Amino acid sequence: MTAVADDADALKRPTNSVEFGSLYSSQNSARFGQYNGLNDGGFYGLGSFDIRGGDGYDDSKNSALRWKLNGSNLGTTSRNVDGLVGDQGKWKVNLGYDELQHNITNTYQTPLQGSIGGNNFTLPENFGSVNGAGTSNPNTRTLSSIQRGDFHTERESVSRKNGSISTSYTFSEQLSAQIDYSHLDQSGAKLIGTGSQGGINLLGGSTGRAEGVNILMNPTSYQTDNVNAALNWKGDKGHLTSGYYGSIFHDDFNSLNWQSSQASAASGCAGSNCYVNNTMSTAPSNSLHQANLTGGYNFTSATKLAGGFSYGYNAQNSSYAPTLIPQAIGTPYNMMQAGGLPASSLNGGVETKHGDLKLTNQSIKDLTLSAGFKYNERVNLTSSNTYKYMNIANVPYSGVNTPYSNSKTQYETSAAYRLTKAQNVNLAYEHESVNRWCDSVVGGAQCVSSPASEEDKIGLTYRLKALDDVNFNAGYTYANRRADVSNFQANAGNYGITSLVTATGSANSGFNAGNFLGYVAFPYANRSQNLGKAGVNWQVTQKLDVGLNGRYSYDNYDATLGVQNGHSAGVNIDMTYSYAENSTVSAYWNWQNGQRNMRSGNGGANGNTSASVVGAASQAVAPTNLWNNQLEGNSNTVGLLTRRGGLLSGKLDLIGDASYARDTTGYSTQVPYLATCGSATTLTCGSLSPIANEIISLKLTGQYKVHKNGKVSLAYMYQKLNSNDYFYYGEQFGVTANRVMPTGLQMQSYAVNVVALSYNYSF
Amino acid sequence: AESVQLTVGKASAKSPAQMIDKDSECTRCHDENEAKPILSIYQTAHGNKADARTPGCQSCHGESVKHIASKSEAPDVIFGAKKGVYTPNKSLDQNVACLTCHEKDPKRTHWQGGAHQTADLSCASCHVVHSAHDKVREKPTQALVCFTCHQDQKAQASKFSHHPIPEGKIACSDCHNSHGSAGPKLLVKNTVTETCYTCHAEKRGPFLWEHQPVSEDCTNCHTPHGSNITPLLKSRPPFMCDECHDGPHQSKSPVAGNAAGMPGGLTTTLPSESFTGRACMNCHSMVHGSNNPAGALLHR
Repeated sequence: MTAVADDADALKRPTNSVEFGSLYSSQNSARFGQYNGLNDGGFYGLGSFDIRGGDGYDDSKNSALRWKLNGSNLGTTSRNVDGLVGDQGKWKVNLGYDELQHNITNTYQTPLQGSIGGNNFTLPENFGSVNGAGTSNPNTRTLSSIQRGDFHTERESVSRKNGSISTSYTFSEQLSAQIDYSHLDQSGAKLIGTGSQGGINLLGGSTGRAEGVNILMNPTSYQTDNVNAALNWKGDKGHLTSGYYGSIFHDDFNSLNWQSSQASAASGCAGSNCYVNNTMSTAPSNSLHQANLTGGYNFTSATKLAGGFSYGYNAQNSSYAPTLIPQAIGTPYNMMQAGGLPASSLNGGVETKHGDLKLTNQSIKDLTLSAGFKYNERVNLTSSNTYKYMNIANVPYSGVNTPYSNSKTQYETSAAYRLTKAQNVNLAYEHESVNRWCDSVVGGAQCVSSPASEEDKIGLTYRLKALDDVNFNAGYTYANRRADVSNFQANAGNYGITSLVTATGSANSGFNAGNFLGYVAFPYANRSQNLGKAGVNWQVTQKLDVGLNGRYSYDNYDATLGVQNGHSAGVNIDMTYSYAENSTVSAYWNWQNGQRNMRSGNGGANGNTSASVVGAASQAVAPTNLWNNQLEGNSNTVGLLTRRGGLLSGKLDLIGDASYARDTTGYSTQVPYLATCGSATTLTCGSLSPIANEIISLKLTGQYKVHKNGKVSLAYMYQKLNSNDYFYYGEQFGVTANRVMPTGLQMQSYAVNVVALSYNYSF
Repeated sequence: AESVQLTVGKASAKSPAQMIDKDSECTRCHDENEAKPILSIYQTAHGNKADARTPGCQSCHGESVKHIASKSEAPDVIFGAKKGVYTPNKSLDQNVACLTCHEKDPKRTHWQGGAHQTADLSCASCHVVHSAHDKVREKPTQALVCFTCHQDQKAQASKFSHHPIPEGKIACSDCHNSHGSAGPKLLVKNTVTETCYTCHAEKRGPFLWEHQPVSEDCTNCHTPHGSNITPLLKSRPPFMCDECHDGPHQSKSPVAGNAAGMPGGLTTTLPSESFTGRACMNCHSMVHGSNNPAGALLHR
């Protein structure tokens, strides 16, 4: 008894460890180092620790006090440090710090001057105007050598630094409280397009056009404070938690400002006089305050009720970005028409409401019944106004904001029955109602093309334990959504109210959100879904496990134009063989395929100018001008993982991990009404070269025990990405699209070798 | 386990040393030589004996009188999903031992009738309570446990564009509550958007100019576990935009090679900015919503 107690006592104590070493990475690659902190080639420090202690590990002391300190990836921008101390059953305090740098690209080029993380970007004095084609669309190949010399490379990344503190206190067996607070600091920038193309006529008739679309470094200068507070009560039969969740988001900027060049030199155009100053908005600061109540009650051990309610208010009143934009010469450019700006900020507010209840009953032997209800509502209380401004093509535009609200009600019930000791069947039914609307929109414009939908879903799952070692499962689900798509005059695209009234059917008429009659956006279309899946898991021996699982789903949309149908399929095979103690080998193969088929109609505006016969001309478009587009994605992943422990008298462990993954995404467009795909310069039909990404990865790790408390670890990793994406062709100087300033972004293929050597001391 | 007398959940008046002695009825055989971790449970919350709520071996496994008398007899309650020396109890019975203490917890309120409960999972399907480091409770290793069943997500998480799940910076439990929730797909919040906003609060707005599918469900355009198209997109503009818009200017027009912006075949006329590179998002860049009074069409 005493000896056993001594063993137990020794094993109660935690094993602490400290690891330090160095790592070498062979190549700069933002993609390889996207999240692991290894975006630069060179040496990195390795450091981690796990230290635990407290009298709570010593049963000779009647104390439940324990503490721990953890740190990992200390030498990279993915570092993490945590500290916890608590008297178990009474109180606990947890402090944490986590860092993550998301590396985006190292190859972005721009002539604009300004630092990453800033919100002002200017063209250099010598850039001048772009005189490719006068005031019409210019040709990027006309950028002069001086202008091309102004291009410089910037590295894009966003850093997240998150500090947190979490505390809990137990007042009694029934009552406890918890407060969590975190502060997230984000800095850096992500690339964004700028809708400043088109002619902003300034400076004595000169035109801001040319390479008007600049891809900018949109600053990420955010702070987010999150608070979670909860008071928990639990009794013999029930429990209840009342909580508060607060999230305060702050953006240091409310605008992004930059200069674009002119296509035609203005009188007096020289240096910065040749540029147009532009501005756009950034993410507005906002807040969310939410009260939550969740709990459960056991009527009997077999009949239980659980549910929750919450109410939240999301406010946003960040001042609008400036609309009066100073220019180098002449008067400032006013983006708003006279009297077109009804307020200096939105004073927006959204109410979110949630309620759910679920009753489960197991009073009948082998039968589990459940019935539930869920309700979610998002009510946008923001007032609707008319904003009259100058669009990016410098044409007057009237827009009405349509504060969007929606609600979803779900009823669900299920019955799970154990047919025999080895067979289970589960039947589930769900009904979902969705409503969408806008309150008090100026001019009475309708804001959603599909104001409501109803969906029924039924599912059947069967599980069979064929033998002690073989588990089989199969399931089928059918869903049918019936949507109200009659509201074809919805102003969902915020199109101008004046043209909505005339309903000319032009692109921005508001007519069916500018779409052809018969076109339905896929999230709001009538839809049927069929989903089947099956799998078998076989424990061949105590050492060998094999699994085979597959799924197939088919969606069909009832829409004349828009997404027609799609399918998704997947197969997975995996095997694990434990051939000795601490020694395993496992292999897997995963295949996934998806396809989406879409039909649309060419022809542009329908030309109908009579509000009384809205859509008639649109209907005439089909079938003569119909075209189809198909999206197909394929994914193949194979992997082999092996671990061999206990070599060299138990001193050496080896780990090997090899994987290969290839993903392709292809687009194909067919235009039956055309004899050919059009001219070689327009290519209106045919297939794009697939977006292909192939990742080969090999990791080898050896851990050698140099003495009782010390291990040396040597690791080698090779990872190669072969990336082929047509996106990048259009970013290169000479072939960028009309009006788009080239960025020179390069495909992100890499081949990186990493070697790591570390020493781990445990005590 | 109705026929098994479990004492789990009953506060003990014994001292830590007395409880260790009680455990020794088991640990005299199940000692440090066991292949599976047994005694390391004392390093976990379940082994902190000064907490009167802490169970002993027999609190969860039952008194197991027959097993103590003869190894050939199984203990009253065997946890786990795989057959070992003994066949595990059915999950419903295994879970009684855990839920007696853990059911009345806000994070497990929706366990009953939840996806994992109805799939006949037991707590021990994911948790190794005897281990000093339960993989599923530690961020860097949690996904490895979830991926044993969720193989499609395992493959997706390593795609060209992904959340930092393989890197151990985001855990599945940051978005999902595997013990059940009131949200879809066991999400930690009540809706998809609420869940995404916990990290992406800059997308929350409300914006002056909203984009309807954005404020309704982020997954209309994004796929959260991984994609071949960055950033976590289901498709790429202009084709993605075409799935909802055939109205504005050139989105009624068929497009193929133009979208590639490739020099071949496009040497005399440059491709349209509506189709090339960022395509629609060259100009309509504020797709998550715009707060600019001159940005109704999500340009600014």
